[in-house]
Amino acid sequence: MQKKTRALSGASQDAYFRRVFKAYPNLSVDERERLVQRLRQEIAQLRLRRSARSEAETPSPEAPTVRAPATPAGARVAAVPAASISANISTPFDPFSPNVIVVVRTAGRDAALAALTAIDCPDNLRLLAREQRLAVAGDPTSATDLRAAIVAAAERRIANRMAAAS
Amino acid sequence: MTQFLAVSNRKGGVGKSTVAVMLAHAAAAWSQRRVLLMDLDTQCNASLMLIGDVGWERACRAGHTIADYFFDRFDKVAEDESAYVANDVGDVAHPRLAGGRLSLLPGSQRLEDIQGELLLKHSKKDLEADAIAVQVRGRMKRLMKHFGHDFDLVILDCPPGLSFAALAALDLAHHVVVPFRPDFVSQFALDRVAMLIERVETAEQLASICLAERRYSCLANCLKGTGHERLLIDQLTLDHPLLNTRLPMLDSIARAFDWDETKQSLEQKYADAVPYLRALHDEVFGVQQLRAISA
Repeated sequence: MQKKTRALSGASQDAYFRRVFKAYPNLSVDERERLVQRLRQEIAQLRLRRSARSEAETPSPEAPTVRAPATPAGARVAAVPAASISANISTPFDPFSPNVIVVVRTAGRDAALAALTAIDCPDNLRLLAREQRLAVAGDPTSATDLRAAIVAAAERRIANRMAAAS
Repeated sequence: MTQFLAVSNRKGGVGKSTVAVMLAHAAAAWSQRRVLLMDLDTQCNASLMLIGDVGWERACRAGHTIADYFFDRFDKVAEDESAYVANDVGDVAHPRLAGGRLSLLPGSQRLEDIQGELLLKHSKKDLEADAIAVQVRGRMKRLMKHFGHDFDLVILDCPPGLSFAALAALDLAHHVVVPFRPDFVSQFALDRVAMLIERVETAEQLASICLAERRYSCLANCLKGTGHERLLIDQLTLDHPLLNTRLPMLDSIARAFDWDETKQSLEQKYADAVPYLRALHDEVFGVQQLRAISA
């Protein structure tokens, strides 16, 4: 018989928290990461209800609810539609990947553009640029223009560093 | 043959003294080396960590610091330099039978003034400025080297700036550990110190030296496990040899440097940082240049 809960620890626990925090847009990436680090220090192992996890990973058309973990008697917890969570937590965006500077330096401009094509959402591209400290010139709005601007910014960063060193 | 290991970075606040003291403790306790830590930093943090403020003031009053040593012995034939050295320092107990011990040549806030005085003194000899600088640096290097007779390992805790003493130390060292905090400005600092250690003038010249043959290793320090750090470390790996050991931000490391007269074991002192210290010790003393000297 399958267990009702699943243990998460280490990297899988971190990944779970990242997915959960991603559902809160008012938390910055840094804040989310700080929370993950803090929880990693304080929580050795997490037991996750299988139903909650599987529902979160595979949205069901009936939009069942996810119950919160056991709470003290008398406490009321609002039920949250699982589908709304799954929409947010099933596709985490990592703004540190690809490492644009590393790709430009090791594989070249075209390879960096190709790597960025996996990111369609302009907001995610802007987030990636901000987190990777790549100063995008102008105010590009389309994903294509943003990708080109990000790669150009990476090239400028590389050139500036070379100039500063020599 | 004595190993000379420098701990250096032109950027301040990256943990140079912390790493120098950790390596000194570990080498004395685990490798049973006779270790001398030479404090070349005018902040004297390593001295305060190893002999406390009272011990350091006593050394200053007695004229037993690195500044006194350079000044007293600059124009003289080397005499007994052991008078300047404080023995059995630090609060880690080393089993006596094992032969490991830790000594300190205390730092001094006067070191910068002394270097200026030495430069001035030699400027009266009708030499070009560059030649004087080379002479002062060369003499300092020879004076540092004298300690090789009594120790298996000399750790040179360098200051952030480019003093004559710092340059002499980089010249003398068989290997240099460059601690850094993975932030945006660190990459510039690493590039500069790397060129200095490898004695090249451009980034292109530095790039032409294979990473495995470089005379330095970079040590990521004070890590919090953020994505930004990961990003920067991946970028730095393209240009510099990085140690596999990475030191996280740990209270046990920060607390280890509160001066305490009570001797304790290395394991008690460094607590949950011991595995990191062990890995650092094994990796640093396993680098090619230092291995070659031990062989």
